[in-house]
Amino acid sequence: MRLARSILILAAGGAVLAPLCVFGHGAEFLSAKLTLLPNAEVLLEITADYGSNPLIMDNSAALEALADPVRLRHHEALVPLSSLGTAKISWHQNWADYAPAAYLPSDTQGGEHALVTSAWRWHSSEPEIVFEMPKGKLHDVLLWTHDATQPEAPPKWMLLLAGDRSRPIPIQQTPWWHNWMAAAGAGGLVLLSSYFVSRNFTLRQRTL
Amino acid sequence: MSNRILSLLSVMALASTAAAEVAYEFVPNFITPPPGKETIGDGHGEIAVDSAGNIYVSVQDKDPALAGLQVYGKDGKFIKTLPLPPSLHGFVIRKLGDGEHIYGAVLGEQKVIKCNLDGSIVMEIPTSAFPAEQRDFVSVTKSDETDPKKKTAIASGIRMADSKTEITLKLADGTEKKIAKEKGVSAAGGLKLTNCDVAPNGDIYVVDGYGRSFIFVFSADGKFKSVFGGPDKPLALANAHKIFIDKRFEPARVMICDRGHKRMLHTDLAGNFIGEIATEMRNPSSASFHGDLMCVAEIAGNVSVWNKENKRVADLGTSPAMTNTPGIAPKDWHEGIVTSPHGITFDNDGNILETEWNKWGRVLRWNVKK
Repeated sequence: MRLARSILILAAGGAVLAPLCVFGHGAEFLSAKLTLLPNAEVLLEITADYGSNPLIMDNSAALEALADPVRLRHHEALVPLSSLGTAKISWHQNWADYAPAAYLPSDTQGGEHALVTSAWRWHSSEPEIVFEMPKGKLHDVLLWTHDATQPEAPPKWMLLLAGDRSRPIPIQQTPWWHNWMAAAGAGGLVLLSSYFVSRNFTLRQRTL
Repeated sequence: MSNRILSLLSVMALASTAAAEVAYEFVPNFITPPPGKETIGDGHGEIAVDSAGNIYVSVQDKDPALAGLQVYGKDGKFIKTLPLPPSLHGFVIRKLGDGEHIYGAVLGEQKVIKCNLDGSIVMEIPTSAFPAEQRDFVSVTKSDETDPKKKTAIASGIRMADSKTEITLKLADGTEKKIAKEKGVSAAGGLKLTNCDVAPNGDIYVVDGYGRSFIFVFSADGKFKSVFGGPDKPLALANAHKIFIDKRFEPARVMICDRGHKRMLHTDLAGNFIGEIATEMRNPSSASFHGDLMCVAEIAGNVSVWNKENKRVADLGTSPAMTNTPGIAPKDWHEGIVTSPHGITFDNDGNILETEWNKWGRVLRWNVKK
């Protein structure tokens, strides 16, 4: 069953996220928004809803759920997110910022969102990353990727249950020549600016 | 002695063969939606079959033509909608000494109803009939002055009094705590009833599945008798989504879909733990029994069938992706593949009907191969 589940999760990589509603199990899992940034930077924002999640009764339970929601697989070890640095915590009521656009509450069900988001940002030294849910975890994690370069593209997602592992997610490694070109471009701009400033200064001196 | 062992092994072998032979085939497009409708309407409920074979599906759609308890014939053709509360999240149809009735938990109103098959209500268990220890349990929070969206827990307990100026809670240690109703102070909690079932003696079992997972026992005439379960040991339930009386056993047992822990478990009728049926499931949400078999709706994308020895004997409609969402539109449905199973039942012939947590409403059917 475990193997089958892993295969299913791998297969789920291309699925398109559909709207979810709020009451009862609408937000029964943690929403993990993964943004892959240039230069191998990774931003992971995990959100818990203690307004309509029957598994999270209040703010302190939400913070507890977000303390160690999912781990990074590094070779044979599972690395807790806390080792990447201190998470930035924010409170809000807007799923739209932390879930795909289609992730809308049903208009037939009530319930108020009360959201807490923990954000981790780090530089990945690996060409791809893999998330894993340790066994015994109570909260499922909806892991979805947000491509900042293609905001209109439907997000890819997978629902991770305790013991599940995500597919390998390639990191946006900026080619070395991009950095060189950027440096050369910046240097050129500085030189050009210096030239025009000095030329302007010289012209003014002559006019005077 | 050796003969006895051989006999036992033979019986076990026969039993396992019988179990292995359980097979089902998907029936495409079984349900015919109400006239003029493409689908049955927003589903977040249950499905059940009466003794005549008619099929009942609860629908919470905003469209009054769809909302309520829809009734279909054996052939899946729409007959009528009973004007029952649309938030009939869980219900069963049971035939006892006083006839055949629908027993349902009304999530939106935190009450239990018993009604005739024509929808006329014969009894209600109102919110006020539930014990205050669970009914009035709330968590009081206060919004941060600088960041109003940040709420800090002040205390949790039984709400003893609630005036314009203060809330009085009875805490777990028995002491009382008065909390001034300053700006930003609010209380939330209470019951969130998700399902009920009836024991052979007529007792009604009700679960607070979206609340704190307590299971309440009422007499046949709706008088509170006892409570068990909840978030603490020994059962330590989390989002006990639905419960059922498992009459495959004598005496009958309570079967609990402990969805948060992805497991199913049995207790006796007094709530004493008997054992786990299965763990590491795709979030069990509902179940039904036929003979020695139990079918289970797993909301993260599977329907499973189990024998009385707690062995999984079939998986149906398994979704390639974990789901648990009501937002998969009809254009993305795949024939014979579930999205988010929420309610399930056997019909009287052992065929399986499943209803989904889906904004458009979906019912799937598998016929047992004989």
